[in-house]
Amino acid sequence: MTATNVAARPSSALPRMLTAALIALAMLLVVAHRAYQTVEISLAGLLLHVFTSSGVYVVAGQQTVYFGLGSTHPLGLTMTPECTSAFLLIPLVLVSAVLVTLRPAIATRVLGSLALAALILIVVNQLRIMTLAALVGWLGTDRGYYWGHTMIGSLVSVFGGAIALVLFVWLATRRSRVERRNERRERA
Amino acid sequence: MNGGSVTVLLGFTQAIALTMSVAFLVYVYVIIVPYLRHRPAPPGDPSRFEWHFLVPCRDEELVVGPTIRYLRTTFPQAHVWVIDDDSDDRTSYVVEGLRYGHGEQSRYIHLVRRTRPQARTGKGDALNAAYREMKAWIGRHSDLTRQILVVVDADGRPAANCLSACAGDGLFGDPTVGAVQIDVRMSNRDTPPPRRTGWRRWLGSTLVRMQDLEFRTAIAAIQKSRGYTGTISMGGNGQFARLSALDSIAGATGTPWRGSLLEDFELGVHLLTEGWRTGFTMDTHVDQEGLYDLRRFLVQRTRWGQGTMQCARYVRRIWDSKHLSTLGAAEMLYYLAQPWMQLLGTLVYPIPFVLLAGRTVTSPGWVWQWFTGGAWVLFAVYGSFGILPFVIWGPIYWWKCERKGSFLRALGYGAGYAAYIYTFYITSWRAVFRLARGRNGWAKTRRNAEVTDGVIALDH
Repeated sequence: MTATNVAARPSSALPRMLTAALIALAMLLVVAHRAYQTVEISLAGLLLHVFTSSGVYVVAGQQTVYFGLGSTHPLGLTMTPECTSAFLLIPLVLVSAVLVTLRPAIATRVLGSLALAALILIVVNQLRIMTLAALVGWLGTDRGYYWGHTMIGSLVSVFGGAIALVLFVWLATRRSRVERRNERRERA
Repeated sequence: MNGGSVTVLLGFTQAIALTMSVAFLVYVYVIIVPYLRHRPAPPGDPSRFEWHFLVPCRDEELVVGPTIRYLRTTFPQAHVWVIDDDSDDRTSYVVEGLRYGHGEQSRYIHLVRRTRPQARTGKGDALNAAYREMKAWIGRHSDLTRQILVVVDADGRPAANCLSACAGDGLFGDPTVGAVQIDVRMSNRDTPPPRRTGWRRWLGSTLVRMQDLEFRTAIAAIQKSRGYTGTISMGGNGQFARLSALDSIAGATGTPWRGSLLEDFELGVHLLTEGWRTGFTMDTHVDQEGLYDLRRFLVQRTRWGQGTMQCARYVRRIWDSKHLSTLGAAEMLYYLAQPWMQLLGTLVYPIPFVLLAGRTVTSPGWVWQWFTGGAWVLFAVYGSFGILPFVIWGPIYWWKCERKGSFLRALGYGAGYAAYIYTFYITSWRAVFRLARGRNGWAKTRRNAEVTDGVIALDH
């Protein structure tokens, strides 16, 4: 109920540069999605090395990992644009750009939240591949791939996406301790 | 388009669709919890306030008389201000007849006359005219914090307990609360449309039932959850506002309501960014007539969609306000983005299906093998995610609001609501076309009782 209802806006050009950088990052994820998929499949190869006892071979140029080599269920998986986490990051990056533009004061918090949400999405996608590999080893190539790629894979994506999204929104929009204290004082 | 580009497009659209679906699922879960946990609040003492019902009318001779009688009988202590927006029918005669009904002028019934060219410029302008006249009538020395204005449709029936519910400590009993919205119900939810038979009768009844379900579950749940974000918005009917709050945003021109097609939401934005709190209660309600006719319904929803699009101009104001938290501003941004997201959805969601259809034409065998080899599960999962967030309101409505019939009926309500909600994709496109053509007039939807020659809305 005061006459001044407009929050102070930092005059720095930093938020604008940050917004431009985030938009550029979103575009880069589209343009360089193949390189991203290569990194993603290489990471999957490393993890499969750690978590499986059979042979693993990565053909980075074709974004493909072969696992179960030497076992009864060898399989090659190609990271396609439908499977990569690159495109899942884009909406979050764009929303971050919008938040930074509209409320520059929370830029640091938004970037931190974006980093955490991105990490979760990347980990969840790796988890999906590990689950698929585990199911192939357990149920055989056909049934393991069937359940791992469709049902379980989709659920992992959805729940992982939900966790990433909730954490992103919660962390990016929550009030700082100082803000909460000020609000309590104002109400009192 | 080569194969690589198609795969990228498919991957991209899938990611967007997945993100939007997951976001919506999470949102629905978040709003359901506070709705189901709702407990009635203790009522307050309505005599602590003075109440003024504002009834904007444009060609309402069929409904305004019974409404005034209802308001005067149910709330004898309240004033009724009827705003005649230069009606072509006998609206003002009806009001005058009631005003001088017993040979002397009732001091509780007021008629605010508007004439063209100043009249018929929108509901907001009509309400502003009443606000100014009412202020002049009240006088300068009255305690404006005790004066409460209640906007009611010409066919509106506020519940008898609405004044005591709104006078409660959590609502107008709290001096920081500037406005309160109450729950809305459809008075004709159990009345089949007259003059209709067969499937048209069924369709009319179902449409009204869906409007009742929407207001009493999904919209009420959204409003309840906004209690946490501090962004409860106002509606066009059952809108209560403190006069001192309206004063603080009226400016020199005396216009607390502004010019968009969604003047109710707009009012909420101005109050919130001025530092007032807004409230919502499900402990009382206002009954209004639901629309039986699909065309009239689409006109109404187009107007709401267009109004939401117009309110996009407040995004900067919302985010710049120090009175709104980031979560609150994000919630309002999400609301304002909804018609645009619906447009995006109509463009994005069909792409995978179009590509699949193309592939089916060129390689039907491969598609069949792909589908039966597990892809059907994907269809089932994503189909469920697309429909369940809407279907769930059917059982909730049955459980919490209208427990009649078996659980099958509840599921039927849910399925109907899922179909009903898809009309918003149509209205969002209609709204954006109207916006692009500069048609920003007030399309007042005609009431059920008005038999027309095909014109279903009055534009200016």
